[in-house]
Amino acid sequence: MTYEDDKTLAEALKTAREAGRACALATIVGTRGSTPRKVGARMLVDPTEGLTGTIGGGCGEAEVIESAYRVLKTGFAERVRVDLTEDFTTWSPAVCGGVMDVFVEPVAVQTGDQKQLSEESRARAPDR
Amino acid sequence: MSTSDAASPDTLGPFEVSQLMLAAAANGGSAASGTLVGVSDHNLIGGRIALVCNPGDALSRRGALGPTQLNEAGFAELMVAIDDTRAKDGIRTLEVNNEKFEFYVEIRRPIRELVVVGAGHVAQPMAHIGALLGYQVTVLDDRPDFATRERFPDAKRLVRADFADPFAEVTLHERSFLILVTRGHKYDYECLIRALRTNPRPAYIGMIGSRRRVRATYLQLLEEGIDRELLASIHAPVGLDIGAETPEEIAVSVAAELVMLDRGGSGSSLRDLERVTKRFFRDPNLSQGDNKGGRHEGKFNERDT
Repeated sequence: MTYEDDKTLAEALKTAREAGRACALATIVGTRGSTPRKVGARMLVDPTEGLTGTIGGGCGEAEVIESAYRVLKTGFAERVRVDLTEDFTTWSPAVCGGVMDVFVEPVAVQTGDQKQLSEESRARAPDR
Repeated sequence: MSTSDAASPDTLGPFEVSQLMLAAAANGGSAASGTLVGVSDHNLIGGRIALVCNPGDALSRRGALGPTQLNEAGFAELMVAIDDTRAKDGIRTLEVNNEKFEFYVEIRRPIRELVVVGAGHVAQPMAHIGALLGYQVTVLDDRPDFATRERFPDAKRLVRADFADPFAEVTLHERSFLILVTRGHKYDYECLIRALRTNPRPAYIGMIGSRRRVRATYLQLLEEGIDRELLASIHAPVGLDIGAETPEEIAVSVAAELVMLDRGGSGSSLRDLERVTKRFFRDPNLSQGDNKGGRHEGKFNERDT
């Protein structure tokens, strides 16, 4: 990400923090083949403000947004593998030809709360 | 669970790390952060550390991943990433006590600076496209009427400088990209020879000019005792061959060269490089029913609908 991207994201994270809102942050941590964005691209999912940044638009972004809402609910980070190798003739947007490995994590309301948040949800969640 | 003595016990989240990385970049420093993204122990997932290296300061370690050994392995990996200027963001594997941890590393280097010398017609779109690419743009000219805010709305700095001593106020460093586009080759030459003699030298020196003008410049530089190896590092004439004519097109051509060098591209047309179309029309099974005239991928659409 460029300095400007970093700044935009930091600004969005700050807005959410000041409003006391939990968010989910998606980061592309690996790619294989052709993907619209590369490693390091980020997207913040703020339930009120919406999206900041992009991890590739139509191509698989919906899958990641779904995961982000799960993460917000459970407090557990997820790894999402977005497959963009669908057949061209299906006219699906996912025909770039690559696979993205996306890490989706909760951004807690305040420092230290992240652990607490996940511990609470872990107490509720069944053992894995 | 104990943390290393050297590491501060603060919990780093995405918010804290984004602030740290921004501050480092703005101070001309480097930073690397690492996040555990694949671990069998779910308690450790999302754990973050950061290593910040501000100019003149000692390295500072922030955050913790978990047990001391894991922290040490993580910080060691971040150290490697900061030291290796070619290191890329991505997942590394930490191995601690025969257990593997997927560790996502991100690196931030000081912001790159585009120094445009000369504030004329080419400089304007050059400054603009430079800012667009994320460079911090400095425009330098000896005429205060030209290096103005109105003409360069997105330049970070506008500097009035004498071309006899152009870099008095603008310090060149390893992250400087210098574009010489003054109003006369005499000035380009004066700035060029000074840039070649600075230490550290800028990452890139590009000079506009015709083949003849570049040749004359090189001859004079040789006479001044600049060695051939150094001459060969100059990008002159500046830019990629895209047939650019207008100032805007020239700026695109120079910008394309900067991106190419940064990302390691070839500068060729992707169509020729990937040879999709060429293969397509050579293979009789694929190109069946197509006339020879079809040259672009748009044909796919016509065929499939």
